[in-house]
Amino acid sequence: MTTEIELRNIQKWFGSNQVIKDFNLTIAPHEFIVMLGQSGCGKTTTLRAIAGLETIDDGDILIDGEPVQHLKCSDRDIAMVFQSFSLYPHMTVYENIAFPLRATRMGKADIDKAVKEIARILQISDLLDKRPSALSGGDMQRVAIGRALVRQPKAMLMDEPIGALDAKLREQMRAEIKRLHVKQGSTTVYVTHDQVEAMSLADRIVIMHDGKLQQVGRPEEVYLHPANLFVAQFVGSPVMNVADIDIGTADSATEIRLQGSEKGFAFGDAALTGIRRDAPVALGIRPEAVLLSHSKSNDHLSAVTTNIEPLGSHDIVDVKIGGQTLRARTESGFVAGEGQEVWVNLDPEQAHFFDRESGLSLRKAQ
Amino acid sequence: MTTLTMTRLDPQSRAARRGMSDISIRNLFIIPTILFLIIFNIFPLLYSLYYSFTDFRASTNAPANWVGLANYRELLNDPFIWTNFTITAKYVIVSVAGQVVVGFGVAMLLNRDIPFKGLITTLLLLPMMLSMAVVGLFWKLLYDPSFGIINYVLGLGRFEWLSDPDMALYAVAITDIWMWSPFVMLLSLAGLSAVPKHLYEAAAIDRAGPLYTFFRITLPLVAPILMIAIIFRTMEAFKTFDIAYIMTSQPTTEMIAIRLYKMAFQEWQTGMSCAFAYIVLIMVVAITNIYVKYLNKVKER
Repeated sequence: MTTEIELRNIQKWFGSNQVIKDFNLTIAPHEFIVMLGQSGCGKTTTLRAIAGLETIDDGDILIDGEPVQHLKCSDRDIAMVFQSFSLYPHMTVYENIAFPLRATRMGKADIDKAVKEIARILQISDLLDKRPSALSGGDMQRVAIGRALVRQPKAMLMDEPIGALDAKLREQMRAEIKRLHVKQGSTTVYVTHDQVEAMSLADRIVIMHDGKLQQVGRPEEVYLHPANLFVAQFVGSPVMNVADIDIGTADSATEIRLQGSEKGFAFGDAALTGIRRDAPVALGIRPEAVLLSHSKSNDHLSAVTTNIEPLGSHDIVDVKIGGQTLRARTESGFVAGEGQEVWVNLDPEQAHFFDRESGLSLRKAQ
Repeated sequence: MTTLTMTRLDPQSRAARRGMSDISIRNLFIIPTILFLIIFNIFPLLYSLYYSFTDFRASTNAPANWVGLANYRELLNDPFIWTNFTITAKYVIVSVAGQVVVGFGVAMLLNRDIPFKGLITTLLLLPMMLSMAVVGLFWKLLYDPSFGIINYVLGLGRFEWLSDPDMALYAVAITDIWMWSPFVMLLSLAGLSAVPKHLYEAAAIDRAGPLYTFFRITLPLVAPILMIAIIFRTMEAFKTFDIAYIMTSQPTTEMIAIRLYKMAFQEWQTGMSCAFAYIVLIMVVAITNIYVKYLNKVKER
């Protein structure tokens, strides 16, 4: 199962609405790709186009170098796990898993062997005689995955496969999908809107917005070096702070002033290389790079806390500087309550700068 | 019991001001229905059960004599009655099978995005809305050997549809298929559109061909509702009277309902025909039971 999938200049319209805009992506063999985006961004449509459930208006889909965009899904040999599970309600678990093998007229003994083997891997051997209606959500999903894996397809597509499960089960199934992928190593494309799922599962994350590919990269790459404002604000929880800033000088040092604030943060010139001073710039800074302190010092700015979210392992504290609010991540209990004065500094190493007009990161080169 | 679960009457309501309690309102709604059922259904049922054990003839003033099971014994030993049953069985099988094939087939054709789907469906339902007698009369004209349009279109010359003893029953069955296929189609269409689209997508991904998908996905999922259509049509076909009686009077088309009619209102063997009616009733109940058992088995899935 060393399948390579390549998408070249995919275009897709629904009426006058273009849902996939010039999409290019090469998926390496054994790779686990997660397509991440809000609902309606075109990620599911792209997945269905790879599967053959959706036609494309322009471009090429290549599987192992062969163009397949004109083939029916049955000729592409790709398995898919649906969000709604799509188990056959009138068949037992065994018959569900055996369905793709029976449909291609495989021998009875071989089918039995394959089904039992996959049931053993997925730990559903004792459910084989039950009907889907008697299963829990997690077991239904296991059966759906089993049905997809049993015929050893060229590639596996998953459309929000655990989106319908409750939070605890989702975590468990996430680990299981990862374990299965490590074991089976099939090329996998996984669609989700949940960035935690994406970060934890993906070899590479593909972020889509409004039908356009925004960034492709390893999870840490996407997190540490977002290509644009959309990616910056979509990946990471809590969301990255974005503030309009002015870059100026004070006491011969470069300074970053949040708009509406009189004083600024001293940033070394090194942190600002290559950033134009004349265009409107937005600062992006993750909550963990907003540093709070109880003691006054010269490079810190005074601020007032406005809101505290205690999350157990850490707190999220909102501080107001000038007219703008920054969210900071602190150890739990660091700030006692709202309305307190704290001292704020930013970590220049972890600061991102974006062009306000295009939204593009100004330090893409790094 | 019922009074406990009943909603209390609003004391401000007009009914309450007229001095009615909620029990009297309940009775007002239920008693007419129950009276109607007793007078027109239950009483005749029991009354005819009594007559089926007598030699009563409605055409004479002679009192009814109790004869015990003699009527039933005589009927079940009568070879002509068995001929009527055979004819009926043949008719039921041909007619219901034809309706299922045609109705389900048309439903399959309609179960996709086609222009004017609503209009086409409505037009196809028209035969079902006509009166049986009217359908029988104008199909008699269509079948006419000298000027009927069917022979003209099929180029059969002067083929005798209704006066040919071997053909007449099938000719009646064809009329029945024409009239009642829309009913099967309507129920099948409801069943087909209830099959979730994503199951077809899953089957396509699982590399199932169209035939395999039809027999393993579509048919099993539509089976329960198709079964209901078959139950209804079997019961109706079993008691067919009007179409066959109007279209032809061949001995080969004498189904049980016609035989029963003749026995009761031409030969005036009232007691005997009551017994016959009871035999038919028991048979219909038995056949329906078999279907319902099967339906429940299908529904379990």
